[in-house]
Amino acid sequence: MTDELFDEALQMIQSKSEGVLQSELWKLLDVDSRKCSRIVKKLIDTGMVERHEYRKNGIKTYLLKSTKKRIIDPSLLMAGEHLIPCVGCERECVVESCELLLDWMYELAFVGLEE
Amino acid sequence: MMQQVEELLQRPPIYSFFLRLVGEEGIQLLVRFPDTGEHSDEELAENTGINLNSVRHTLYTLYERRLAVYRRVKDNETGWLTYLWHLQLDQLDPVLAEDLERVKEKLIARERYEEENDFYLCKTCGAMYTFNEAYKHEFSCVTCDVPLSHFDNEMLALALRRRLQEISETLG
Repeated sequence: MTDELFDEALQMIQSKSEGVLQSELWKLLDVDSRKCSRIVKKLIDTGMVERHEYRKNGIKTYLLKSTKKRIIDPSLLMAGEHLIPCVGCERECVVESCELLLDWMYELAFVGLEE
Repeated sequence: MMQQVEELLQRPPIYSFFLRLVGEEGIQLLVRFPDTGEHSDEELAENTGINLNSVRHTLYTLYERRLAVYRRVKDNETGWLTYLWHLQLDQLDPVLAEDLERVKEKLIARERYEEENDFYLCKTCGAMYTFNEAYKHEFSCVTCDVPLSHFDNEMLALALRRRLQEISETLG
């Protein structure tokens, strides 16, 4: 097994907080499912990934999740003192023309200038 | 719990996050939520002095983000169901990560739109047009009938790119 595949699989799993299904992972990696199983076993053995049983349309597979605890910086949701309008937004989302988001973007740009 | 909640709420982004989701009364419920045990909505309303509908709204909003959970108990005599709630604020980090992932997708889309378009502004009413829209109206404002000016959106696009970079770093 190549180290690149191992790293690629690990990155894919770490980039998704909800985890990746093993039945999807081998397609994403473009390898066959047996090879994918070997990569997954290695990932679990290192302790960097954990595996949970998961049923999708009645078929058993595994949900693979990173064990790395991510420390999220919530200030990234803010521009100055303003929380991004998208959090808890119940409007129909038209991200291109949302004037609430535009206001927030101005704030973000101004804060950026001050720094 | 109470101390943990108050510590969390002292951080401005976290306070703003909860304020958006559950409002002032919801924040009061978080602060006054008993340290231990499980509690029905009615009991919480009574003990905190917050109106029952508001308590329920807060609990269900928190439930949607897994920050509160309930256990359903059936009264064998009356057959009534009671929901007993407790907070699960140790889930906050993954919950924030999910919100940040959603925000990231939106900012990517907006950044692309800013990147791909040229904008024209009506300095009278503030309306913004893309090149195609402006072209269609011969570069004058539909409402004010005055000429449009080119709008340099580079500072907005740059701010989005920077923030997206930071978000990608924190999400790892």
